[in-house]
Amino acid sequence: MTQTVAPAGGEDTFPKLLIRNAGIWADRPAIREKDLGIWQTWTWAEVLDEVRAFAAGLAELGLKRGDKVAIVGSNRPRLYWTMCAAQSLGAVPVPVYQDAVAAEMTFVLQHAGARFAVVQDQEQVDKLLSISDDLTDLERIVYDEERGLKDYDHSRLHPFAAVQETGRKTLASNPQAAADLDASIAAGKGSDIAVILYTSGTTGQPKGVMLSFDNTVISAKLACEFDNLTQTDEVLAYLPMAWVGDHIFSYAESYWSGFCVACPESPETMLQDLREIGPTYFFSPPRIFENLLTTVMIRMEDAGPLKKKMFHYFLGVARRAGEKILNGEPVAFSDRVLYAIGGFLVYGPLKNVLGMSRMRVGYTAGEAIGPEIFRFYRSLGLNLKQLYGQTEASVFVTVQPDGEIRADTVGKPAPEVEIKIDDSGEVLYRSPGVFVGYYKNEEATRATKTAEGWVHTGDAGFFDNEGHLRIIDRAKDVGHLTDNTLFAPKYIENKLKFFPNIKEAVAFGHERAFVAVMLNIDLTAVGSWAERNNISYASYQELAGLPKVYEMLEEHVVEVNRDLSTEPRVAGSQIHRFLVLHKELDADDGELTRTQKVRRSYIAEKYEPLITALYDGSKEQDIATEVTFEDGRKGEIKACVKIVDVQTFGIETQQEAAE
Amino acid sequence: MSVMEAGTPAAGIRGAAATSAETAARETLLSVENITLSFGGVHAIRNVSFEIAKGEIRAIIGPNGAGKTSMLNVINGFYHPQEGLISFRGQERRRMKPYEAANQGIARTFQNVALFRGMTTLDNIMAGRTLKMHRGFFWQCLHWGPALKEEVEHRHKVEEIIDFLEIQAIRKTPVGRLPYGLQKRVELARALAMEPDLLLLDEPMAGMNLEEKEDMSRFILDVNQQLGTTIALIEHDIGVVMDLSDRVVVLDHGEKIADGMPADVQANKAVIEAYLGVEH
Repeated sequence: MTQTVAPAGGEDTFPKLLIRNAGIWADRPAIREKDLGIWQTWTWAEVLDEVRAFAAGLAELGLKRGDKVAIVGSNRPRLYWTMCAAQSLGAVPVPVYQDAVAAEMTFVLQHAGARFAVVQDQEQVDKLLSISDDLTDLERIVYDEERGLKDYDHSRLHPFAAVQETGRKTLASNPQAAADLDASIAAGKGSDIAVILYTSGTTGQPKGVMLSFDNTVISAKLACEFDNLTQTDEVLAYLPMAWVGDHIFSYAESYWSGFCVACPESPETMLQDLREIGPTYFFSPPRIFENLLTTVMIRMEDAGPLKKKMFHYFLGVARRAGEKILNGEPVAFSDRVLYAIGGFLVYGPLKNVLGMSRMRVGYTAGEAIGPEIFRFYRSLGLNLKQLYGQTEASVFVTVQPDGEIRADTVGKPAPEVEIKIDDSGEVLYRSPGVFVGYYKNEEATRATKTAEGWVHTGDAGFFDNEGHLRIIDRAKDVGHLTDNTLFAPKYIENKLKFFPNIKEAVAFGHERAFVAVMLNIDLTAVGSWAERNNISYASYQELAGLPKVYEMLEEHVVEVNRDLSTEPRVAGSQIHRFLVLHKELDADDGELTRTQKVRRSYIAEKYEPLITALYDGSKEQDIATEVTFEDGRKGEIKACVKIVDVQTFGIETQQEAAE
Repeated sequence: MSVMEAGTPAAGIRGAAATSAETAARETLLSVENITLSFGGVHAIRNVSFEIAKGEIRAIIGPNGAGKTSMLNVINGFYHPQEGLISFRGQERRRMKPYEAANQGIARTFQNVALFRGMTTLDNIMAGRTLKMHRGFFWQCLHWGPALKEEVEHRHKVEEIIDFLEIQAIRKTPVGRLPYGLQKRVELARALAMEPDLLLLDEPMAGMNLEEKEDMSRFILDVNQQLGTTIALIEHDIGVVMDLSDRVVVLDHGEKIADGMPADVQANKAVIEAYLGVEH
């Protein structure tokens, strides 16, 4: 396999790419933000000006090569400029999840040793000030939105605009400052650390993944070539800036290929902004696609009978023919005609409502997507694909090539990625995007990355007959029941979560006699169902405990068991008992990571009485749980949770069950 | 003065609001003297006097039927007191209509949400700017040239308010479909659209849950600090009153029984007997 060498001198760091872009695409849009209800646009030339001014301002404040700059806030042009400005000075940006509570931020900022922090607003300033005693390295805080901050002590605080203003003046009046900045940009090289991204930490403390310019620039280049992304494309940047996906898709790829990045007006307006922008290239975790579909389906329930009928008829046509047409397979002529009519009457307007009219390539990653949901979007003619990636790989490990899309695989190795599967079933990879190391954590680096550059993913998987990779679970989560049957919790949980009524599922079974699960209902879906069926409820807790809800979920669990019984490898891990949790699993309570993944061991500890009850045959169990409110205060909720036995299927009853 | 620019001169006011002595020394924006209001034989307000200083948050509290809302109605010109004087910005006020009071810079929200339910959030707030529109009916119908330009300017102001109150996501949603807490926020937005000097809030937090109350408190403080708007509010939640307001006036059966700093009022025996003691 040929390895890409770092691009030539002028294009190996983002500040240099920005200068290139401002030259060749001076008047093309680089970034947009909706402000006061109107989309504001900056061209590449303007972005260069903004970034230089801010970089010069930061230099005036004393930012030096090698310093760390924490970036906290939602996707804003100014925060993206901060990345490039910091990199221009040879400093390293460290984006931090903006919804993290102060205590979580302490660790990252302390560990990174950030001297500067550039934050969005008063909320983030307050958070940093509340932990400033622990952050001995932090010297200056620059904020974007000035609201509410006027009366603060400004000895360490600086408004973004003022820093930029100082920078502009310095650049205009002092030729030496401008020359220093140019020299600093020129001194940057591909092997420098470009960014430190902290992993969300499914287990233990977060680790700072150091990615070099070579890692990120080459990954961006390969991805742009793979999907033919050019300066005419457009994306919506709405995922956390601290997440590697956003860093690569909304920053690195944009700087490489010159496409325009749009920042939503506020997190709540994301769906409207999506519709207005109509991105051509869209990246999203499955949950966004699920939410969109749920919203559409709920709205359709309220439509008139004629519309409803038309909608469902043409969705049927799409299910039959849509995906085949997209994959270029042969389809009956009549279906082609119907599909074209459907495109006019249903799919077109629907795609418009979803903001996907112009979508050329869409990716879903991070979690397994439900096959139904995946097929739904593909049948509308949307080129939705799956990819499998990691922070340590600068995202890309495998991607699905056009025309070879299936719901149950994550695709083939991405360009220039080598993959091998070790004896324990764990997936390892090696690529130009492989990270430099974990910041200040040699031990963890050695444990993850071998001397030859192979990286342990921690995921168990295998290649199928067509060379596609299938991931079954985290390697360390794959366990055994007491009778030695294979138990892959995530595999079972994903099957459950594909039902719209189930938001989250946690399966237990390792070294136990049988598999048992805890479920979280989806408030939108179950709430709407309750409304339609005139079932009243006062709270999440009450709804979750309703006998009718239990009945409905039991049907889903039985369905999953039936499904599992057809696959010999996992037939033994059918679900014997389940319960419905009285509260929603929440990242604020430490039950999920900030990227909404279940923290199994923590949950096992916290809900210990419930798990005991799942296995000792009790019919119900009292539990008191601590909850953290959004303002950080803590409370307690008590509940009596019912536990239900479920029908399971032997291999021999399969025939019967299939009827 | 524009909504956003108003923040700059206001900063000093708030900064100086720290001590009680300074509050007392500040310029009076509105004063009511010996107001008596009766409906037939019923005395709603009896001989009440107090003043509202520029830049402060003034709470009016009291048990049900104490005459709080009547007092607001007197201030914004909806009721006309039989006796007493009202002066606004140092000028004694004659009998006037509510819209005249509004034109002078007094805006209000209502105890029961009074929005146009079928209209969107944006249109509701735009309605708040009606008094600021200068083009006549003919031009408005034509919706072209100067009229369009004027509308664009007003829309800009409205967008600033939408941004300020963080209601971008419901800009195009009909108000009737919004949850109660958001409707209250839209109502506040509409009042702010008038760029008032004095904002009267009639139970802005009634019927809200804890989180909504916290949000609303935050916004009220922001309006006061950033826009420099003087606020008079009626509120039943004593915790909110104590936290938010600079000074509190207490009414009971139409009479003023206390006036002062929140802590003093809370400790006042007459108040405890009349209100806090009975309620709790």
